[in-house]
Amino acid sequence: MAAFAAHTSAATSHYSPAGTAILLRSRRRAYPIRVSCLAASAVDKTVVIGLAADSGCGKSTFMRRLTSVLGGGAEPPRGGNPDSNTLVGDAATVICLDDYHSLDRAGRKARGVTALDPRANDFDLMYEQVSAIKEGRAVDKPVYNHVTGLLDPPERIAPPKILVIEGLHPMYDERVRDLLDFSIYLDISDEVKFAWKIQRDMAERGHSLESIKASIEARKPDFDAYIDPQKQYADAVIEVLPTQLIPDDDDGEVLRVRLIMKEGVKRFSPVYLFDEGSTISWIPCGRKLSCSYPGIKFSYGFGTYFCHEVSVLEMDGQFDKLDELIYVESHLSNLSTKFYGEVTQQMLTHADFPGSNNGSGLFQTIVGLKIRDLYEQVVAERAVMTSDAVRL
Amino acid sequence: MATMITAMAAIAAFPAPRSLQQAPAPLQLRQSAVSFVARPVRAHRRLVAVAASSPATPPDLASKVSESIKQAQETCADDPVSGECVAAWDEVEELSAAASHARDRQKGADPLEEYCKDNPETDECRTYED
Repeated sequence: MAAFAAHTSAATSHYSPAGTAILLRSRRRAYPIRVSCLAASAVDKTVVIGLAADSGCGKSTFMRRLTSVLGGGAEPPRGGNPDSNTLVGDAATVICLDDYHSLDRAGRKARGVTALDPRANDFDLMYEQVSAIKEGRAVDKPVYNHVTGLLDPPERIAPPKILVIEGLHPMYDERVRDLLDFSIYLDISDEVKFAWKIQRDMAERGHSLESIKASIEARKPDFDAYIDPQKQYADAVIEVLPTQLIPDDDDGEVLRVRLIMKEGVKRFSPVYLFDEGSTISWIPCGRKLSCSYPGIKFSYGFGTYFCHEVSVLEMDGQFDKLDELIYVESHLSNLSTKFYGEVTQQMLTHADFPGSNNGSGLFQTIVGLKIRDLYEQVVAERAVMTSDAVRL
Repeated sequence: MATMITAMAAIAAFPAPRSLQQAPAPLQLRQSAVSFVARPVRAHRRLVAVAASSPATPPDLASKVSESIKQAQETCADDPVSGECVAAWDEVEELSAAASHARDRQKGADPLEEYCKDNPETDECRTYED
């Protein structure tokens, strides 16, 4: 102890172990100064990510890819409500914003209000609980049961390292938006949405083409009014559109996916192709790489999106070989991978997920890597802040 | 209909272990493609057992979906632009999404995996990593 004190009192010493409480002896004062409280509060804050998507909560493909990239897996909480929408893992916890519905299914039917309408959601509670988790306090979050349509008793959520809030309105309320460290919007075009819903629902007894169409059209006004405007606030938008490679109408098999990345976002460096800030059009299939019909086409450029400067990376077509995937990965830059081939490895690990052979899986994986990179930057910043505080 | 198929699959699956025991050794069975072809009836049964495993929505959820569709069609027949009509179709969408999630969950449901998640220390579930 005495030797240690002698070490710290040497003015030129720069070594200080981060995160420990060190008693400093200043020459002027007789009593030691403790700096542990500042260090502790900087470490506890959770990183919050927002994901706006129409496809239901927690079990979506994007979430599964994201939790795979972050590591530690994510399962529904054991021993709790079996219809819980929450996923808990070592690195991340995923919360479904449907849990903040203020009206249950019967209530919404009585008032003639959809789940998309802000009147059916309690934004005050959402803000209160997300900010509590961000500050490191556990909360009792309500549970919305999608099967029964009722609000079940609350479940306890402990603050994780990374909190992902997924749902229809993560960026709707301004206060909640300010809590987000990174936000993503999944923008599916109408034709693709129709094709996907047909694939999902046609096997269902009772559904027909007309009922699927009617369901989409009935929800469209509320969707356009409340959900769609959140696009402008997102740091990254993944747009899924029908392909331009096949001239006549196809059934939504081949997709054109665009990753729109806002410039100037803290701790986020956009992915680029060959030369950052230029405009590139690239067809990798040719002499070195052979692809099957319809092939792959990439483009990269920059522009404005809702008055923000953005860079856009676009992929049209499908992968059908490992070679194509690794070839494409080796030509993309700023992927935030930890080793060569990490994107390919992630895509192959989940080859059975939808979108694994086109841009949607690729860009979801890349966004996952960006989120991991963002988290690691936050941790590194905190470590520097802590050691600075200790050093005084 | 779905339950009939799965029941048939269950019955069809039973003869399969017997046919395996008759084979001299698993290695030989894999090597000779001829032995597989030579018993087309058995092979066909095994194929039926495998093909019929696509998951169906749990019946209560499926009936909820079809009921909600009927209700939505009725509500909207009276007044296509009212809030009730829109809310009814929103309910259909929510239930369809829940049904599709239920199907996905069933697809991955491996009884051994489920058991091992809760009891990783039992003999069947031990993993050895060097």
